[in-house]
Amino acid sequence: MSEQEIREGMLLAVWDEPPLDFDPDALMRRAEQKKSRRRALVSVGVATALIVVSAFALPGLLPKTGDDDQIAARRTESSAPTSTESPNARSVRIGDALAAKLQTVRRELRDVSAYVQPGMQVVQGTSTTKPPSPGSAPDPSLSGYVYLTDDIGPTALLLTTTSTPKSSRLECIGAVTCKEMPVDDGSKIIEAEYLDGTSTVVRAVSTRVFESGYTVKLSAFTTNPATGSGLRAQLPVSVDVLTTMLTDGRIRWE
Amino acid sequence: MRKADEQGFREFAAANAASLRRTAYLFCGDWHTAEDLMQSSLMKMYLAWKRIKGLDNLIAYARKVLLRTWLDEKRRPWRRAEQRDGELPDAADERVDPDHTSAKLWARELVHTALLQVPPRQRAVLVLRYFEDLSVAEVAVAMGCSEGTVKSQTARGLATLRTIVEKLDSSSGRVAS
Repeated sequence: MSEQEIREGMLLAVWDEPPLDFDPDALMRRAEQKKSRRRALVSVGVATALIVVSAFALPGLLPKTGDDDQIAARRTESSAPTSTESPNARSVRIGDALAAKLQTVRRELRDVSAYVQPGMQVVQGTSTTKPPSPGSAPDPSLSGYVYLTDDIGPTALLLTTTSTPKSSRLECIGAVTCKEMPVDDGSKIIEAEYLDGTSTVVRAVSTRVFESGYTVKLSAFTTNPATGSGLRAQLPVSVDVLTTMLTDGRIRWE
Repeated sequence: MRKADEQGFREFAAANAASLRRTAYLFCGDWHTAEDLMQSSLMKMYLAWKRIKGLDNLIAYARKVLLRTWLDEKRRPWRRAEQRDGELPDAADERVDPDHTSAKLWARELVHTALLQVPPRQRAVLVLRYFEDLSVAEVAVAMGCSEGTVKSQTARGLATLRTIVEKLDSSSGRVAS
């Protein structure tokens, strides 16, 4: 069998070639699909590899010393005291801080103490008990008194807090003086003084309104708000002292 | 891909698809597999078209891709799965169709029986040299080997093919030329 016969044989072998149904455009479309599928597969592969590498590498990179954990825990505790603090502990803490601040500002006062409790349970001159309903959201409001004794006798300041603020215009209704001042942390102070129809100031109120709407109100009266008696000629502390107590940076209200 | 490149590939594929399929048929001995091989090769070329469109001899590159695609396919396990058993039922009857001359039938036998029994690389050398009429140097480029290897593979392939054809002729009563 010569080379020529092999050549002719191969040419004859393809004589019954079936018709060719070939579409270059279809082939190009399939190629593009294949290319995009390959890209997607590579992307998924890379993402999976990154996740796996991160999962194994990150625990080794993060610090795991006990000291660091303690520092982090302390930071968390100081930055968010209210998240773990019980309502009773919070009211005691705030009451003690207010009393301490008042004693600092007015050193001549005696028997300065505070009784603050969670919820709006104190009404001027009387007291009601309305415990929070079980299962309801924690009530951030507080109420209570800061007791003090001066040269005239014992009296008290009324403290109330609420998360439902009133407009500053409402705070000023009936006031003989009313002024609003900003505080560095974004909250504001509204100072108001009220007369009883004469020229005597019978009530001074300092209200601190936080950006969240949380409102703290500290009031001084010419009577003892805890008993409704003990009338005196002038307020036991001025509205400036009330404002100083409310803006003490060491008291964490919210 | 830009429109101009797409048009260039479209023209190349349309012009060479048939000849590539014929070559693939002589490699594998089956028109369906040959069409698959041709399309796979052209798809590979399309994906690399930006890089290869400037080559001097694109059809030589296409033959090289086709040959490697076929050799790769042969290595795949599922390609080895088909086991033929007995005579093929669709053999042509020359009495029915006058065009089916004995020479043509013998040529088909040459491909189906003799050429397919030649080892793959020797078969590829024979097809490229005697069907595609390529020189030894061109076959060496397509095969990715030296010219000496092409010559030795050709000699061995021819010897193997002749032995098989002689056996076929003696079994069928045809006189070997």
